[in-house]
Amino acid sequence: MASTISRSGGLYINASSSGSRFKRFSSLLRALVVRDVTSRYRRSSLGMWWAFIQPLVLMLLFTMLRGFVDIPSDGVPYLLFSYVGLVPWTFFTNAVSACGPSIIQNAEIIKKISMPKEVFPLAAVVATLFDLAMSAIVLAILMIYYKVSIGVSILWIPFLALLMVGTAFAIGILLAGLGTFRKDFIFATPFLTQAWLFITPVIYPLSSVPEEWRSIYMLNPMVGVIEGFRAVLIKGQSPELQPLIFSALMMIVILSISWPLFRKLSDYFADVL
Amino acid sequence: MSNDVTIRIDGLWKRYGLPFPRFLRKGLNLIKGRGFACEDDDRWALKDINLEVRRGETLGIVGRNGAGKSTLLKVLAGVTAPTKGRVEIIGRIFPMIELNAGLNTELTGRENVRLLGAIMGLSSSEVERILPDVEDFTELGDWFDQPVRMYSSGMLSRLGFGVAVNIKSDVVLIDETFAVGDLKFQNKSFAKVKEMRESGATILLVSHSLETLQFVAKSGILLENGSLLFNGSALKAINAYETLVFHSEQKRLEHRVRSRITSEDVNIFGARLFDEKGDTITEVSAGRPFGIEVDLQINRDLDHPMFSLGILNAAGILCKWNVSKEDGLVGPGPQNHYILRAWYPENRLSTGAYEAHFAARDAASFETLERIAGIVSFSVTGPERSRGIVRGKVDWRLIPFDEVKVNSTGLDLCPESRVEESTTG
Repeated sequence: MASTISRSGGLYINASSSGSRFKRFSSLLRALVVRDVTSRYRRSSLGMWWAFIQPLVLMLLFTMLRGFVDIPSDGVPYLLFSYVGLVPWTFFTNAVSACGPSIIQNAEIIKKISMPKEVFPLAAVVATLFDLAMSAIVLAILMIYYKVSIGVSILWIPFLALLMVGTAFAIGILLAGLGTFRKDFIFATPFLTQAWLFITPVIYPLSSVPEEWRSIYMLNPMVGVIEGFRAVLIKGQSPELQPLIFSALMMIVILSISWPLFRKLSDYFADVL
Repeated sequence: MSNDVTIRIDGLWKRYGLPFPRFLRKGLNLIKGRGFACEDDDRWALKDINLEVRRGETLGIVGRNGAGKSTLLKVLAGVTAPTKGRVEIIGRIFPMIELNAGLNTELTGRENVRLLGAIMGLSSSEVERILPDVEDFTELGDWFDQPVRMYSSGMLSRLGFGVAVNIKSDVVLIDETFAVGDLKFQNKSFAKVKEMRESGATILLVSHSLETLQFVAKSGILLENGSLLFNGSALKAINAYETLVFHSEQKRLEHRVRSRITSEDVNIFGARLFDEKGDTITEVSAGRPFGIEVDLQINRDLDHPMFSLGILNAAGILCKWNVSKEDGLVGPGPQNHYILRAWYPENRLSTGAYEAHFAARDAASFETLERIAGIVSFSVTGPERSRGIVRGKVDWRLIPFDEVKVNSTGLDLCPESRVEESTTG
């Protein structure tokens, strides 16, 4: 009887694709990123300026908020303090929310030809990096204005960026994989990221988190990333190692769950799209 | 080298959907109050397909809607994983399925070609290499650097097709989209497919246009309900497909509600189709004579009973209508039980599904005593591929114009074009 046969028996082999798999992946990734970046702002009047506006508005909002509520900022001008946190944070939320629907948006392509499906959330993350670069320019201007001195600690930036991109990708593919089958995950993304903002030291410093909560608090992989950027960019220090190690470990844990899950689910994307 | 296999499919089964463990689904059903019965376990899109396609072969895939043609192509393209079985493809595969899938309307034609090329697995240097050819092939001119959202649908298809035919691949899967645009572009597309075939590419083609298949494909398979029903030459596959369609149309005709006018004077008990030996048949070979037999009873003495039989095709067009009186059956019909036989010695019906309408009248009063639409239905099958209502050969001859006596027909349909031809050629 047909119904007793397990699903895992199928085998598909295409002899040619293995050799040039990486080359193919990178050229596809490049094309998708170019498509996303060039087409995103093409019919808007403000164009690329949107990349500046988002963290800028958030920064002004939180600076206003600080007028009413006392938020410590480790002795750094609050404008700079919050903006340094908001730049990686805005990247993270934008990347995660771009990942969620990335499979559905590329349904036409997925239904057409076989390819590693990771390329779509990854392209969404990489395309968001361009916005990050834009807002980093504003950050640089702010840093010059406040006469922040930059030391060798700036060499930490590639590592911090990798951690940031990795975390966004790890969460992003989870949402992309699940969101393809159940849209609920995509609808929930804005709430998720909003709630996440409050458990991340973006608008307040890590030092204001009570000591006894800190080890749980640092399970959030974005803690290490944002504290790291802050230490490196405005304090001119090496980042604290403990939050950083926690972050790296958590990123690996999340990725080691979400990626295999995504792989498993990706076999059935074409069936449900 | 021409005999090696490029596609090998062993016992392929395919079912769509997530592989939820069955008990989980059953449990869900239980919660939803639908009972423990697991609904419809047999929704296989493909059932036990075994197939080998050799290098350079052009294989046409025919089948009715939902037979599994597109699913087969999708599995071959690697878009959807086989549920069971083994699919092996040697060489670069190129699915010409939904050619314009992945186009971004905000980007220009050129940018979209780069994108499509990358989707199809080309490296950026390869894309740059084919770009001039694509630009040339699509004949878009200045439009090539305009955003695609401004394109007409024909231009869009040309763009997708231009990319498709300029990518060298070992296995090409073509689904429907074949031959888009105007006639000139269609011919160009055909030529390109021929070129691909000659360069040794294996081509799998799904099309509802049997004419296209007949011209392009050498071999063919027939799918029905996910099973491989036939595997052989393209012509035979097309014939098997048509027979299948005729049979299903015939079934549909059989199940149709028949209009019937009846009176007490004549009763009809049954009707059948028969061949030369008198055996009952449901299918007539094209060109073979056949007969229709009606079992009836006349309940009052008729001086001039008159019977008529009309044969209609599946589209409801009356293809043949005969009246017994005109064909020479005259004479009285006293009250009795009869078998009425109508023999069609010249069967000129082309292949297809048919049904017969029968009527019995009294020629004296022209009163209709009994009329049954769809008294019997049948299909005409055969290897011929001529279309139309009437079958039969035509003698074709191509004669040089000079050898034909002038004014032999007295007609000159388009004198201008002839002048043009003689000056240009």
